[in-house]
Amino acid sequence: MTRRFGWLAATAAAGTLAFTAGAQAQDCPIKIGALAPLSAPGTVVGGEAMRDAMLIAEEDINAAGGVLGCDIDVVIGDSEGLPERATAVMERLITQDGVVAVGGGYHSSVGVASKDVANAREIPVVFAETWNDTITGDKQKYIFRIAPLSSWTSNIIWEFALTVPGVEKVAILTENTDYGIPASQETAKGLNENGVESVIFSVDIGTQDYAGIVERIKAEDPNMIITLVTGEAAFNFTQQAADAGIGPLDIPFQTGQDALESGAYWTNVPDGQYAFVQRIGVPESQFTEKGKAFAAVYKERTGKSDVESYAMEAYDSIAILAQAINEAGTTEGSAIVTALENISHDGTLGRIYFDYGLKKDPSEDGKGDEWWHQWPDPAITMIQYQEEGQSSTSAAIVYPDAYKTADPVFVNE
Amino acid sequence: MESPTIFWGVIGWMVVWGVLGSILLRQRYLARDLDTSNANFVGAMSGAALGPVGVGLLWATTPKLSGRIIVGFGILAVVLIAAAFSFADPDNVCVSNGSFVASQISNGLIIGIIYGFMALGLTLIFSILGVVSFAHGEFYMIGGMLVYYITAVWLPGVNPLVGVMGACLVAFILGAAFERAMLTPMYKGKVDRPVEYGILATFGLAFTLQYFVQAIHGATPVKAQRFIDFPRIRWPEGADPLWIRTSRGNLTLFDTISISNPRFIAAITCILVLLALLYLLHRTWTGKALRAVSQDRDAAAIAGIDPNRMNMLAFALGGMIAALAGALLVQAFSWLPQVGAIPAMRSFVIVVLGGLGSLPGAFVGGILVGLVEAAGTGCVPDAQKAASYIPAYGMIVLTLTLLLRPTGLFGRRFASGTHGQF
Repeated sequence: MTRRFGWLAATAAAGTLAFTAGAQAQDCPIKIGALAPLSAPGTVVGGEAMRDAMLIAEEDINAAGGVLGCDIDVVIGDSEGLPERATAVMERLITQDGVVAVGGGYHSSVGVASKDVANAREIPVVFAETWNDTITGDKQKYIFRIAPLSSWTSNIIWEFALTVPGVEKVAILTENTDYGIPASQETAKGLNENGVESVIFSVDIGTQDYAGIVERIKAEDPNMIITLVTGEAAFNFTQQAADAGIGPLDIPFQTGQDALESGAYWTNVPDGQYAFVQRIGVPESQFTEKGKAFAAVYKERTGKSDVESYAMEAYDSIAILAQAINEAGTTEGSAIVTALENISHDGTLGRIYFDYGLKKDPSEDGKGDEWWHQWPDPAITMIQYQEEGQSSTSAAIVYPDAYKTADPVFVNE
Repeated sequence: MESPTIFWGVIGWMVVWGVLGSILLRQRYLARDLDTSNANFVGAMSGAALGPVGVGLLWATTPKLSGRIIVGFGILAVVLIAAAFSFADPDNVCVSNGSFVASQISNGLIIGIIYGFMALGLTLIFSILGVVSFAHGEFYMIGGMLVYYITAVWLPGVNPLVGVMGACLVAFILGAAFERAMLTPMYKGKVDRPVEYGILATFGLAFTLQYFVQAIHGATPVKAQRFIDFPRIRWPEGADPLWIRTSRGNLTLFDTISISNPRFIAAITCILVLLALLYLLHRTWTGKALRAVSQDRDAAAIAGIDPNRMNMLAFALGGMIAALAGALLVQAFSWLPQVGAIPAMRSFVIVVLGGLGSLPGAFVGGILVGLVEAAGTGCVPDAQKAASYIPAYGMIVLTLTLLLRPTGLFGRRFASGTHGQF
């Protein structure tokens, strides 16, 4: 626990020093906004995990002396997973609550819609779990991201699918959102370029009844199913597919990322053994000291047996903003951006930094626009629930080889 | 689609003759001083199904426009669309795969029965109280939530029937208590705008229930275990029968039609409860009293029926029906405090489609919406779009029906704005 607070104490001390040395006076507490989906049709399971993590970050930062001599106050905004709601919440956080920066964010559509509001009002945002490439690809001054790009996660998905024995045709179920549509297209493109046929089915976020779609997928006779749907909708699809004989026990099946919340997963998908799940971040055995300390507090606080990657990202999004404000010595937006561009933050996910931005355009290194204000090193793995009732942090990592802890079990072999 | 011009050409032909038939037949029946209540609808169906032949036949003979004529032309129109689709897209899975079609029809029927059952509760409340209950989705939600808590948390291992009965009982009591406490001012002259008051009161109940459950339970999705597993059927003895094959979660008929266990159990239970409800309404004094109040409140009171008591009974029964639908589906879907929003919206569509206040209309409307959704999901050629449009399929049917028959399929033309009739 001592190590966990070490960096916080150091940054708090630096901030306090800057504050006493004559930095402009601050209104205390300093408010930092935090986006999370806490109502349907958003992914409430993910939103609650992120909210809990961001509140732990608030406690840790305040316990270590706060920011610029003030406590911070994390103001939670419920995005409901809806873009129109996200813009309204971002507007409210900035204009009414007076936040100086914003962290969190789960759904890509929320990030895509709300980033323009924040950028126009010159409020820095560090998005935690929004994958859509355009969020950083629009090269906006105040927008940063520590989640992986959608194109990176899609690469891992199709590269893993190519390792499935005898794979010739893959069915992809996606939600018709800013996360699902590009992710499914990139996955399909990667598969098709490698000679594997794919068929995409898209659904509304929050769909409950998949009987008709499941029958249609069955009629396509795929060798693998990939689910790019968030929240309980992915639980519904996976179990209904299992009931119909094309679930994780029947063919190689990648379910939605919310299966990382293993308690909810096993309650809702009792026939979900052998499902593959994409996970951001390294296995728990390779967590940083700060990651281990956070995991212990998070598990104790929530009663969960595992730590979801989006909870760690949410924690880091608040912590990195606190460090940036301290290093900027002010809550002024431009100064925080400069501090973020030059930051080296030891987070729960590893060392977080940003190579490209105002200081250096991605094109100078031949990179695409999406590398703007983008953390380049998030680990992306594929895990498999090889035992019934398993927790996600103890599940086998089956891809890529750099993190592999066990060989995948392919039920069709 | 290989030949879209064939399909869209036929659809265009049907639309043109449907519109012409609707206009011409209404004018013809008006000119002959005949009942025009079904003229638009039948004219459109006859035009769509048989073009100038159908419209001309009805124009010349001006028969009484009965339900049989409506159904006959309606089926013909659907057959024509299906035939055009088959010619235009012969490789479509809906055309080339009979087993898939059979499965989609059975899926549509089963979910339609469940939709219709839930809408019955809404219709019952509207018929007696003249109020559209906006808390219907929340009764559905608490039904499922109670079954989960009873069978998995409070009394783990208990027979699921106990959970279902418990959920129904709680919903019935809650509905009765709410009606007594909040809705009585409507018909005691204590409020200026009783209908609006009723709607707002049920809105309030909806929010209260949803956020109360969220505060108590949280927003983590839960699910009840399957109520029963299908037994392994071997008949003739020792052999795997061809006509029926079962696994724990699935039933396959004739190696063709696949039905999931939770939906099968839910649909069968809905049919049994529907039969019981019909018995209650048509064979018992209480049911007859309910129907009497729906037809004429004052006359029913003169005959010795207490309309206020019937109001309470109707609201409680309506809420209980929604809760039962939820109690049966919590083994099929993941359950959240917000889970009732989509089914409630669909129930409103079905009730209006079937005709406000009509019990048969609600049930037929539910099955129609279920079948149209299954057809859309299965047959729209672009797989990426087929499932995205699920919410739109029911709305298309509703819009077309209301254009041609504003009272809905089974609605009465002069049903009161305050109280419908069933």
